[in-house]
Amino acid sequence: MTTSATDPVVQAKAAIEYCYAQGWTDGLPVVPATASDVEACLATVGRDPAEIVGSQPHLGRSVTVAQAAANAIMAGCKPEYFPVVLAAWQAVCQERASRGAWQSTSGPAPLIVVNGPVRSRLGINYAGGVFGPGFRANATIARAIGLIVRNGYGIRPQQLEQATQGLPGRWSVCIGENEEMSPWEPLSVVGGAPLGSDAVSAMLIRTCEYIDNRSTDSAEAVLHDFADTLARLGAYVGGGHSSGGIVFGPEHAQLLGNAGYGRADVQQWLFERAVREPAEMATAGKGEHAEPGRPFAMMPAAQDIPLLVAGAANAAMSMVFRPFGWSAWSRQSVLVNPKEQ
Amino acid sequence: MFDSIIDPTVGPATTSADGRAELAPRPGSLSGLRLGLLANTKRNAEMFLEEVGKQLAEHYGVQPVLAAKKPNIVETAPEPIMAELGAQCDIVVTGVGDCGSCSASAVADGLLLEQAGIPSVVICSDAFTVSADAMADLRGAPGYRYVTTAHPVANLTPDGVRARAAQAVPQIVALLTQPVMAASA
Repeated sequence: MTTSATDPVVQAKAAIEYCYAQGWTDGLPVVPATASDVEACLATVGRDPAEIVGSQPHLGRSVTVAQAAANAIMAGCKPEYFPVVLAAWQAVCQERASRGAWQSTSGPAPLIVVNGPVRSRLGINYAGGVFGPGFRANATIARAIGLIVRNGYGIRPQQLEQATQGLPGRWSVCIGENEEMSPWEPLSVVGGAPLGSDAVSAMLIRTCEYIDNRSTDSAEAVLHDFADTLARLGAYVGGGHSSGGIVFGPEHAQLLGNAGYGRADVQQWLFERAVREPAEMATAGKGEHAEPGRPFAMMPAAQDIPLLVAGAANAAMSMVFRPFGWSAWSRQSVLVNPKEQ
Repeated sequence: MFDSIIDPTVGPATTSADGRAELAPRPGSLSGLRLGLLANTKRNAEMFLEEVGKQLAEHYGVQPVLAAKKPNIVETAPEPIMAELGAQCDIVVTGVGDCGSCSASAVADGLLLEQAGIPSVVICSDAFTVSADAMADLRGAPGYRYVTTAHPVANLTPDGVRARAAQAVPQIVALLTQPVMAASA
């Protein structure tokens, strides 16, 4: 039996295909957005739909609140996610590294971190499998940012976007922080937000790489393992330093916390030990900026090693991430719906 | 049938020109003309342009008068640099577009200078012609011609850079003295 052309499923599929044909999708199906969807998003933020929330002056392109809303719906967001999408977009845009990021050969992706009670209200995962997939809010908020870049700025792969390889998980990295299992204050507090508020922080990253260390109960041994990966030569692009941050799994974080390490202590420890010998760097053709005889600090500064906690407390593993470019995280988190907090 | 679907690409403003961007008229000869060089911050860009300037001076009687460097590879050169180039130079060579964002941005610089009445030549590496062309389209100059050099430029030795620059000079001269739109565009 053939399905009738007037069948709602047939029509829904045709609408999705229509969006593909317009070049509006990132390769996955989108949810077609209607005027009432956009209205529903706008109702959650109380902002002027025509307000410009991002610009690329060299391309002559700007993005409005209403346009961001249409792309959020297309990404699969529920309207109630929209305040977080807007905060994430602002957080991404205010990072200096984002200025040329979307056209860069490095092909970076935003790492979006959500703090506060909004995690539970929207079902933003911060525990097991935090890097996804499987959680609508995490997946669609991150994807919305990618669609805004694509459709709002008109920056598309192999056109204005020139990523050499990009990275696995581009436009899909939105995580909650596991504040409940962190020995330290939330990342958003580092970013200037009041404790307990809903806030979003963002960085642009080039990749993530795991640290699996279930072999020791020594905080220093584990820190050494992190310093080794942070100092990896491949991630060093040249110039005065490399970059790195860590999403600690709760077990590693608690091991460090129980041994008396505050966030700043961990940052300082890693900054001092994530170093390479100039001779080793020269062997890899990367010795140009190293002073002979003096260990080269791979991290820009102690405070520029962002540290946060996410995931489940079921194995001692963590993730090192690599901020894009040489500008460190701005340490400015963005409040979600600031007028309501 | 799908009129109720919102077009997510429609934004508040676009500088896409209606019709074609105006390019500066070409001089018949380069002899005696004041040359400006506009480099970006990519490795070897300044050395490349410096060599181009030297060769143009030696073989074509051009006078290199200004070497500027823009601070940000993504954005077009800031207004004070553009004004200085406009005030002091008759022709400009800019580049080297050898990355995703800077190739497009080099084309934008070239077109801005053209609109200010200064014949200009943009140098991009051949790996980034798509983004350079996309920028030309965006700025209302489809078919805009620029000089390409083989990618990569950043890892060349000083001798390699000079050789590349020398190779590019005949094309640079052609684009400074002849029409700069592709005939078919």
